[in-house]
Amino acid sequence: MSALTTALAITTRDLRRVRRQPSRLLGGIARPFVWLLLVATGYNAIAQLPSGMPYREFVYPGVLVMACLFGGALTAVSTVYDREFGMLRLMLASPAGPGAVLFGRTLSATVMGTTQALVVLAAAPFITSPTLPQLLLAVGTLVVASAVSAVLGLLVASRLRSVENFAGIINVLLFPLLFLSGALYPAEQLPRPLALFASVNPVTHMVELVRRAFGQPAEYGFGLNVVVLVAWTVVAFLLATLLFDPEARLIGRPRPARAAGAP
Amino acid sequence: MSTPAIEAAGLGRDYGEVRALEALDLVVPSGALVGLLGPNGAGKTTAMLLLATLLSPSRGSARIFGHDVTGARRAARCRLGLVFQEPTVDPFLTVRENLEFAAGMAGVARRDTRAAVDGALERMGLGPRAGQLARELSGGWRRLADIARATLHAPALLILDEPTVGLDPEHRERLWGFLDTERRARGTAVLFSTHYLDEAEPADRVLMLAKGRVVADGTPRELLAPFGDAVLEVDGPGAAAFAAALQGEGLAKLVVPSEGAVRIGLDGRKEHVLERAAGATGLTRSVLRAPTLEDAYFARTGARVTA
Repeated sequence: MSALTTALAITTRDLRRVRRQPSRLLGGIARPFVWLLLVATGYNAIAQLPSGMPYREFVYPGVLVMACLFGGALTAVSTVYDREFGMLRLMLASPAGPGAVLFGRTLSATVMGTTQALVVLAAAPFITSPTLPQLLLAVGTLVVASAVSAVLGLLVASRLRSVENFAGIINVLLFPLLFLSGALYPAEQLPRPLALFASVNPVTHMVELVRRAFGQPAEYGFGLNVVVLVAWTVVAFLLATLLFDPEARLIGRPRPARAAGAP
Repeated sequence: MSTPAIEAAGLGRDYGEVRALEALDLVVPSGALVGLLGPNGAGKTTAMLLLATLLSPSRGSARIFGHDVTGARRAARCRLGLVFQEPTVDPFLTVRENLEFAAGMAGVARRDTRAAVDGALERMGLGPRAGQLARELSGGWRRLADIARATLHAPALLILDEPTVGLDPEHRERLWGFLDTERRARGTAVLFSTHYLDEAEPADRVLMLAKGRVVADGTPRELLAPFGDAVLEVDGPGAAAFAAALQGEGLAKLVVPSEGAVRIGLDGRKEHVLERAAGATGLTRSVLRAPTLEDAYFARTGARVTA
């Protein structure tokens, strides 16, 4: 119960901060719309996909995932901010432990990613013709995509000590993940090493889940989509927990004896 | 006899090759007020972080109300309230929201949060500022909100790392008054560090740290006893000879050379010594005053607590 209380307190705090700094949320919403309006509109006229699908319709699931990915992962900057300005020490002193702190941060980042993606999803009737079940299914996949993105962001943030470092590193990581996911162009014709990377890239499988929700063809099986995303989430969360509070890992280990008077 | 708030035995921590804290032996009974004194780098913060379960020890052990700080961190943390050197108040939240957040961090059940937050606001006099954003508060009020944050779950032990740094006298007085009330009302034990030595004088016990080692440990009265009733501080080229003469005549209880001056502990015949100082050659200044913990620290380390 204490862990859940702690996680909810962190989520509430993060959402209150967002309410007082709405530019973060608005910026996150603007990014996918810029892609939709500027890039997708331009390519729609010239891109000819093998499936014959209009480019704007093809890229739409990818743009939704972009909103989840950036909204979920960039929210982890709060963790770096808290470490830089001392709040993290208060959180690590919680009886609930680092796992609860990370879970709370995952929850708030998932809400942020999903919120941004839902605004983009509201534009669906102007791009494709979704049915209500497709839209509901899409909402579910966007929550999953946001949660996985949140954990990936936390993994990157787990040891970083400055907001500037986080901003630099996260963008370097997110753009290759997005470009090599089949979100913006079909990944089937990529050179083999890149195709191999795409097959284990979590963003690939986020995009596929959203494509399935809209009834678009997917390259990999549904089972593989789920397995890859679950594996990434579990491994990233465990790694983040280990890296997040290195002192906790030392506790309980037998300590080597020191000679008296050793320096 | 109740379980002590803190029991530490040979507690130490290294950072690589640097020994930040050599070996701390400490017992703090419930309800006691204990001060840690020392300049920056003495090991105070390391000692506090170890006792707060936020650092793992390189050697030794410590218990908080009987709970081992390494083996039973969760149980130890439930009894602790912590105030760090850095502010732990979110500037983008109101005072009330900050306290609600802290209640969640401390594991206070949601149904009890409102009462706990209201109580903390009232005790600290923060009621009128409850709806104000923390970034709009003065540094003093922000610090008081930080103390309210640390005490709202009624911890049995408070660990405060330099809680009064940067506070004006009014806020310092308010803070110590609040802590005194907490100790009387709830029997809260308080371990604190400070650069303001006068704040340590009401403590039940004071530990002096230098370069990671405990150099003195006792009640303020015990630590000041070697200086006698008063300290005569003399400057000038003749200061050392004057002090030696007093010592030879049995008038000086303790002589401590200090950066061009000499501090002389006196036990009786203060007026006589002061007259001698007025007529002595080679003295540019002579001041008679009560002994302080700064004197006690200087006598043991040859260094000042404050820069």
